[in-house]
Amino acid sequence: MLPIFNGLRDINMWTVLFRMVVAFICGSVIGIERTYSNKPAGFRTHILVTIGATIASMTGMYLYLVLKLPTDISRMGTQVIAGLGFIGTGTIIVTREKTVSGLTTAAGLWVAGIIGLAIGAGFYEGAIITFLITLFVETTVSELGRFITKPGRLKIALSYYYRHDLGQVMSYLKEKQINIVNLQITGNNEDIEGKFYSVLMTLNPRHPVDENELVTALSSMDGIISAGKLDK
Amino acid sequence: MLIYFYIGQEYGNSVEALREFSFGTVCLRLVLATLCGGLIGYGRTKKNRAAGLRTYMLTSAGAALAVLISLYEFSMLEGPWASVVAEVGQRYDVSRVAAQVISGISFLAAGSIISVAHRQVYGLTTATGLFASVCMGIAAGAGFYECVAAAVFFIAFALEGTTNLDLLFKRSTRNITMAVEFDDITHIDAITKVIEEHADSIHSIDIEHSESGNGKHSSVIYTVRMKKHQTSHSHILSYVAELPWVYSVEEVIA
Repeated sequence: MLPIFNGLRDINMWTVLFRMVVAFICGSVIGIERTYSNKPAGFRTHILVTIGATIASMTGMYLYLVLKLPTDISRMGTQVIAGLGFIGTGTIIVTREKTVSGLTTAAGLWVAGIIGLAIGAGFYEGAIITFLITLFVETTVSELGRFITKPGRLKIALSYYYRHDLGQVMSYLKEKQINIVNLQITGNNEDIEGKFYSVLMTLNPRHPVDENELVTALSSMDGIISAGKLDK
Repeated sequence: MLIYFYIGQEYGNSVEALREFSFGTVCLRLVLATLCGGLIGYGRTKKNRAAGLRTYMLTSAGAALAVLISLYEFSMLEGPWASVVAEVGQRYDVSRVAAQVISGISFLAAGSIISVAHRQVYGLTTATGLFASVCMGIAAGAGFYECVAAAVFFIAFALEGTTNLDLLFKRSTRNITMAVEFDDITHIDAITKVIEEHADSIHSIDIEHSESGNGKHSSVIYTVRMKKHQTSHSHILSYVAELPWVYSVEEVIA
């Protein structure tokens, strides 16, 4: 381990202060990035998590090293990891489109907690390297992620009078390389002009598509009464 | 032979050096865990799942750091704090921190599982993939490099390589769940009779009333076991769809 930190590995007034300051800085820097991306857990949340973890970790060591009580120095801090799992779960939300959002925030909070534990234990090297990794992942990799993500699915509702009208829609989608994931046809609808079919389809485009353009193209076809995009 | 022996010994020596706890190996293990997490997460980001590259990289690094914390504490207890250990007694368990990582990530992953209509559950693969990748992170933190190499391969294969196989199994199973939507609940007997004729047995009938747009709708979920030599799911679906009161039939694939 790096010898510069050797004077800071025991538990005393100065190391406690030093570790708190380090935890504060690490938490705030990770949190600032989150706040900038306008995510739920920001600046203050991350500071509180890292400081809390640091305190728990230091207290465990204090009991054993200073008070000389028979305990495992890691037991106290360790529960932080399970506890933050609970808190992280609370930040995960299910959106109206039935997708999950906030998992990355939860994971980031969890890692910030473990970094706090390392700082509290006096394991500065590990804490700093992981801190740098976290910053790298939060900034650079998230850009990369946006780059490699395939376009999401979309749901389209259509209605038409005759059974054969659907054929042109299918060939149009095939031509545009849009895969059909799910197709639900309802036949027993009726309006003033007679019976009509309505279709609900989930599409998985291979390339990014302009949703409005797709809907316009579909609704302007012969025999199609209406076409519209639904919320997922 | 001599060269082989030389390389073998060199390999042995260098790997043994990597198992020591030092600044170099700490860096190596954290970076290794992050990269391996990234390898597993890459495909998930590509599929646009809730847990992607970032989540996998961060949690793997966190798990590795957790193990490294306890290795650090152990090295301190062996070295500078040996006098306290001699006085109070050895009370340390090196695997305790990593053990909590497993329960912590399980809670976190549980939050990503959601249940949607028709008794379907989404997000199970996301949750279990994260769990497996974090366990890989623990192995990386402990310097168990052989296990990490195998784990990355197997986890990535389970997530990416088995999608079609999974679908194949789901399409050829004899158990089928279908959501039938029809006009009035009084027709349930007739519909059930048709299903009974074409199936081996009906496991459960779950009635969920739903009111929508133009008046009353009834929707029922049947869990059916098909006859032995009947392979196509659409066969039984089409029989139900032909009934006059039925608006729609949908096979529910989890």
